[in-house]
Amino acid sequence: MADGATLDGYWLPMPLGDTPLGPELETEERAFGPGHVRLRVADLTPHTLREALVALRNSARAVLADRPVADIVGAIEAATRRLVEPDAALREELLSVLPGLTGFSAPMIEVGLERMGAGWTADALRGALQSEFGDLAVLDDFQPRETGGLQRAFGPQLTVHVFSGNIPGVSVTSLIRALCVKSASFGKTAAGEPYFAVCFARALAEVDAELASCLAVSYWPGGSEDLEAVAFSEAEAVVAYGSDETIRQVACRVPAHVRFIGYPNRVGAAIVSRAALGRKGAAALAEGAARDVVTFDQQGCVSPHTIFAERGGEVSPLDFARQLAAALEKLAEEIPRGTLSPGESTLIHQLRAQAEVRGATVLAGERGTEWTVIAEERAEFQPSPLNRVIHVCEVEELSQALKALEPVGRQLQTVAVAAEPDALTSLAGRLGAIGVSRVVPIGEAAWPAPHWHHDGRFQFLDLVRFVDLEQQAE
Amino acid sequence: MNARDGLRAEVLKYIGDGLRAAPVGFEDLALKVFQYQFSENQPYRRFCERRGLTPDKVTHWGEIPAVPTAAFKEAALVCGGPERAEMVFRTSGTTQGPDRRGTHYLRDLRLYEAAALPNFQAHVLPDGARLRMLILGPAVELAPDSSLSWMLDRVRREFGTPDSAHFVDDGGLCLDELIAALAESEAGERPVALLGTAAAFAHLLEALEERGWRFRIPPGSRIMETGGFKRGRREIPRDELYAMLVERLGLSELYCVAEYGMTEMCSQFYDNVLRERARGRSPDFRYKVVPPWVRSQVVDAETLEPLPGGRVGVLRHFDLANLDSVLAVQTDDLGVAGDDGFEILGRAAGAELRGCSIAIDEWLTAQR
Repeated sequence: MADGATLDGYWLPMPLGDTPLGPELETEERAFGPGHVRLRVADLTPHTLREALVALRNSARAVLADRPVADIVGAIEAATRRLVEPDAALREELLSVLPGLTGFSAPMIEVGLERMGAGWTADALRGALQSEFGDLAVLDDFQPRETGGLQRAFGPQLTVHVFSGNIPGVSVTSLIRALCVKSASFGKTAAGEPYFAVCFARALAEVDAELASCLAVSYWPGGSEDLEAVAFSEAEAVVAYGSDETIRQVACRVPAHVRFIGYPNRVGAAIVSRAALGRKGAAALAEGAARDVVTFDQQGCVSPHTIFAERGGEVSPLDFARQLAAALEKLAEEIPRGTLSPGESTLIHQLRAQAEVRGATVLAGERGTEWTVIAEERAEFQPSPLNRVIHVCEVEELSQALKALEPVGRQLQTVAVAAEPDALTSLAGRLGAIGVSRVVPIGEAAWPAPHWHHDGRFQFLDLVRFVDLEQQAE
Repeated sequence: MNARDGLRAEVLKYIGDGLRAAPVGFEDLALKVFQYQFSENQPYRRFCERRGLTPDKVTHWGEIPAVPTAAFKEAALVCGGPERAEMVFRTSGTTQGPDRRGTHYLRDLRLYEAAALPNFQAHVLPDGARLRMLILGPAVELAPDSSLSWMLDRVRREFGTPDSAHFVDDGGLCLDELIAALAESEAGERPVALLGTAAAFAHLLEALEERGWRFRIPPGSRIMETGGFKRGRREIPRDELYAMLVERLGLSELYCVAEYGMTEMCSQFYDNVLRERARGRSPDFRYKVVPPWVRSQVVDAETLEPLPGGRVGVLRHFDLANLDSVLAVQTDDLGVAGDDGFEILGRAAGAELRGCSIAIDEWLTAQR
């Protein structure tokens, strides 16, 4: 933990993870993150990895196949409590370790635990499952179809996850999705965040050791082809998160018969109509936009890079930018920005100067690079170097914003919108046509609902295989 | 004589004295140059005013506001306006077109030469050798707005033998001719100087390896290598590159000199190694020597406060030869300060960017 003791950065099922460690498993210490947190990582070989994967599949057959979904989501909620409830030991551990591992400030991690944990309750998970399957029972047994005959949904016996390191907790959501469809999971963690998934497995083991035997989590440097070849060939589904390049690399190594689900990089934006820029509401809107920017320092695929603000409201786009700056300054104390590498800081200073000399209004934190608002009349989507750098682009009409978003349509995911209720549906329709998959109120961008369509797709249905049982006509 | 011409004469004298004697009065001259730039370079003036750093407030060269190199992409940072420029140097092209290239307007090439030539001589030809120069870079006609091409061309004319030549044409590196020249050097026991980018040397080494060639070019032969033109090729760590050069060409590593320069600066920096060797010392480690008319600072990347030696930060240079643009330039290179120089640790590259953002570093790279 913070005092420098070495932590176990893996969770491996029997026979490998048995204490004392199985004779075949070797570990090595590695330092991770800006805090150089020392983790003991498993030094898996293709052989030991295959053993672990076989053990996982056996557990899936023995444990998961006959567990009712209701039972599984209950256990997940109990494990979640051990991660997020005040005074829970694992929560304390996460709060102490994750800032050094990820660079995010402790208050950011705290907010993240609370908000993500809210999506891992039995109610939230049941709701999300129901929104996709209708009736959960279809995961437990054959159910009649409206069109006649019966159907049952089977999850993969084994899902292999390739996590990315940008947002702590996304790994846990991924493991939970697989558990909900009765799949065992092997999670390959990223150097950027190698620990949260391990803690989830430990929490689950405390409440339901059998279920926890269906999870394994370990780290190796991404692209280790010998290990990944084994992992991908033993899996029935591979879920990968990461840069476009990572997704492409993984996708081309997943065998044809294995289902592949990739979540490549995405960007977000926001749109503020002139109607929303009233004297009354603008400050609250700016505060919401600031929270969208602050949350996980824009590292998420949901995070906005550019806010398009329409001219002609009671509050001008430039004044809105000023309010946004004030809100960011305030939030800089409540939720401090994470530590940056010298390179990241340098890029922000360079970008500030570049914007400044071309005539943009640059509003910026004065201690360092803690936040930056770049306001200008420019109908162009501008990518942010992240870490609380937000562009506010003034547009004459919202149609200019839509046009500016078109070139990045395929990468767009979330657009936060403040507009008149009457105009919202049509605006959302036009955004959807460009490629956007999530339109939310400003201030809500960072926290997708538990039942959201992740990148416009199904969280659970994408994982399962339906079995049709066609009955003979009498 | 107007104020600018007077200042120009002072700067030229300072630079001219620079490598011979250790001139005094950098501070005074730097502050005068700052005052001149503040009054004649409008975008820079606004930059300073927004920071409240006007000539009456700045009392030490280290306080002169440093402009990040990215600003050269957006504004004509030149005294008297861009139309008075004698030469325009631009950073390498990007997919976003010429408007996103960093542009350095030079009102006066004489200042550039005054800084570039003696500094090159002191660090690459400290023994006074006159060598055949094999230049692994395009002739100036092929890359008229590249400061590196211009400098290599100028150096060749000044210090090279008449048969010195460029070995790059429209089709890229002229490998056959270059290899023939190396063979000639080896056979005739006539040392050569190879000048070019790290990428060009990597290309040459690849070709030598493929063809199974290995040279022992005569003692006194040397290499000046620079990181420029690195787009599109994978970068090889410098140690590896030098090890391969030693192996394939038969040079001593002390005869491999790295140059560090940038479009936005008239002065360059060179490794200490060959100069020290010419003085009969064997250098313990490599670093970039700061010429007397330049001051370099390492500042904290986050707060931009100057850092003590040994700490990693962003490099900032104060270059008197930048008389008509901006004296104080903040780079995006990371380094560590030493006694009379610094070490470069690399560029604040987009590769370090984390986050779930599409090819964001590609976009940012495209913008640089």
